[in-house]
Amino acid sequence: MRTTALAAMALTALPLAAPAQDLVTRNRVGLPDAPNTMTFRLTPYDLYSADPATAEKFAELFSDFIRTRPDWKIETQLQTGNIGQEQARLLQQTQAGRGPDCAMVDSSQLALFKENGVLKPMNATFSDEEVADLFPYVREAITNEAGDVLAWWWFTDLRVLYRDTSVVPDAPQTWAETQEAALAAAEAGKEGILFNAGRWEGTAFDWLANFWAQGGELVDAEGAPVFGEGENRDRMLAAIVYAENLVESGAAPSRVTSITNYDAFNAAAAAGTAAMFVGGNWQYGQLRNTLPEEQFANWAVSELPGPTADQRATGTGGWAIAALTDDPQKAALCGEMAKEIYAGPGNAYQGLLPTSAALYDEYDAYEGPEFNLFAEALQNGVARPGAAIYPEISNQIQIMLGDVLSGAAEPKAALDAAFAAAQAAYERQ
Amino acid sequence: MSARGPAPADGRPLPWLVPAVAMLALFYAVPVLDVARLAFSDATLVRAPEGWSLAALRALLADPALGQVLGTTLIFTAINVVALQVLGLAIALTVVRGEARGLRGMTAFRTLVLAAWVVPGIANGLIWQMLFDEAPYGTLNSMLGAVGLGPVAWLSDPNMALASATIANLWQGTAFSMIVFYAARRGIDPVLYEVAALDGASPWRTFRSITLPLLRTAIAVNTVLVSVQTLNTFDSILALTGGGPGRATEVLALFTFNTVFQNLDLAGGSVLALLLFAISMALAALVHGWLGRAPA
Repeated sequence: MRTTALAAMALTALPLAAPAQDLVTRNRVGLPDAPNTMTFRLTPYDLYSADPATAEKFAELFSDFIRTRPDWKIETQLQTGNIGQEQARLLQQTQAGRGPDCAMVDSSQLALFKENGVLKPMNATFSDEEVADLFPYVREAITNEAGDVLAWWWFTDLRVLYRDTSVVPDAPQTWAETQEAALAAAEAGKEGILFNAGRWEGTAFDWLANFWAQGGELVDAEGAPVFGEGENRDRMLAAIVYAENLVESGAAPSRVTSITNYDAFNAAAAAGTAAMFVGGNWQYGQLRNTLPEEQFANWAVSELPGPTADQRATGTGGWAIAALTDDPQKAALCGEMAKEIYAGPGNAYQGLLPTSAALYDEYDAYEGPEFNLFAEALQNGVARPGAAIYPEISNQIQIMLGDVLSGAAEPKAALDAAFAAAQAAYERQ
Repeated sequence: MSARGPAPADGRPLPWLVPAVAMLALFYAVPVLDVARLAFSDATLVRAPEGWSLAALRALLADPALGQVLGTTLIFTAINVVALQVLGLAIALTVVRGEARGLRGMTAFRTLVLAAWVVPGIANGLIWQMLFDEAPYGTLNSMLGAVGLGPVAWLSDPNMALASATIANLWQGTAFSMIVFYAARRGIDPVLYEVAALDGASPWRTFRSITLPLLRTAIAVNTVLVSVQTLNTFDSILALTGGGPGRATEVLALFTFNTVFQNLDLAGGSVLALLLFAISMALAALVHGWLGRAPA
């Protein structure tokens, strides 16, 4: 009896004593001989981050998590940064029964996964109060009509206007004020305002805030494109002309049509060549870590300007974790991992914006004044539509903006072409 | 009577060919046939085929973007194929001449050119994206600015963006042509050049009358290979411009990729893949028929 008890203690103590590096390998979390296995497909930004400190922090969080579940191991599968392709492959594999048990799903793809019925409820993990505390657009995206929790959207992000206050002291509130401030900066030898206008998702997503601020809608209730008809067409045109005027007037350099990543803005800020840029909230921390203290002190964030001061919107994104397995135990483990690692301490460490209001009070990491601005701007947050046609609409908007801003097409012709292409693609779906 | 006995395949070659044909069919013909099957379906990336029709083909033919994409592909391919041959041949002949004269550093020079070839397409695109950066501190524009030139709208101007994508492709692809021509040039009997020298032939006459005719087969093979390679190029353009601004640098391979992975339209992407396949085959047949024939 005593021998059995000692053996049991030893078995229990082993995982507790195992150092973090033994429990986390390149493709596994937990002990290799654990009897139960959950497969998890994740992005390369946390546990396997290129930043050693972030990877170490997440290895520690995962180790603590798995130590309390010694019967489990998590087999990890890494997604590349090519989000569209990876998510399409994930959905295809899951439908064919070859997908992982648990995976990170881009928030813009959640609706597609929901529509195809591959997300399995994780109700056992999340209480009604926790669901009720989520931002409304998040709650709507992760639950179905029956109230099942089909995913956990663990962080969100938003777009804001960054400005060098030594050049632009007051935050522009409207499109007209933005152009005026950018022109003044350009005359002073700076690049007035930078924004994404190259051929990638960031271009469409950032610019759509100008359309959404006017109440524009990309798709109808059935998911069919409607952005090129009726009032939506007028709103689209107004937003295109705003961007066109920025470039034509010299308020924005023509090189914006070649910008296809947010790092270009950090580089311009570091070089001191840009007065303003439309960027993501996560760039605030990057600037703080990159710029000399006195230079960083000049940079401030504000809500994206609207056509008028009271018409505002900002695109919100982020990632969710979803169970793709019919096994309730694995689904529960997937939910617990999202809740205990990512939504709480993981977010706080990385400075990512939680989707639950209570978490902003729980962690000291969210005490900076910028988080008050982010929280305020999130009230005007708009998520990309949960429609399968969205990626193609985004593609067409990227082409439309590129053509208009490079002078290859007029706004009306470019919009009509984009709308016709999106409609044709919708009919093919 | 023959000096040897009958070979195993004499009279009945078919059984001996079966393994090779089966392997080729498995790895090449089956995927092509599957793409052809999908082209006549309504398959999407997230839905298996449920019906069969010509709808995907009709949609493609009605797509106003196709003309622009084919035009861009034609310009991109034509310029690249010609320039790749000229640059590859020039470098190969320079290396051969350098080696013949015992110049030091020829191996290092050859290795340097080859280094570009082993760079993955995506990395190639990213490298040139940094060089072409139009920011006030962009590499090439800063260099031009130092001598009072520029700035050049490398990637933001639609016409210039296609030229920039071509430069990036040439930088990477020239090494392949160089290898082909270098090997072919080394295969030419040196006696021919010695005779030409004794006859007092000028370098240009030697090139025109000996080198070029004897490289005819290599040029034909290389033209086919680099044409197909260039037609299939999408990764470096994806990283460099994403196909933009607008559709200015969207070649057929990238258009196919976008059709499948942006619009999830597997049937439409399959039609485009077949089109790409047909163009490649036609080009190969054309070039082979034109340049591949043995001189009379």
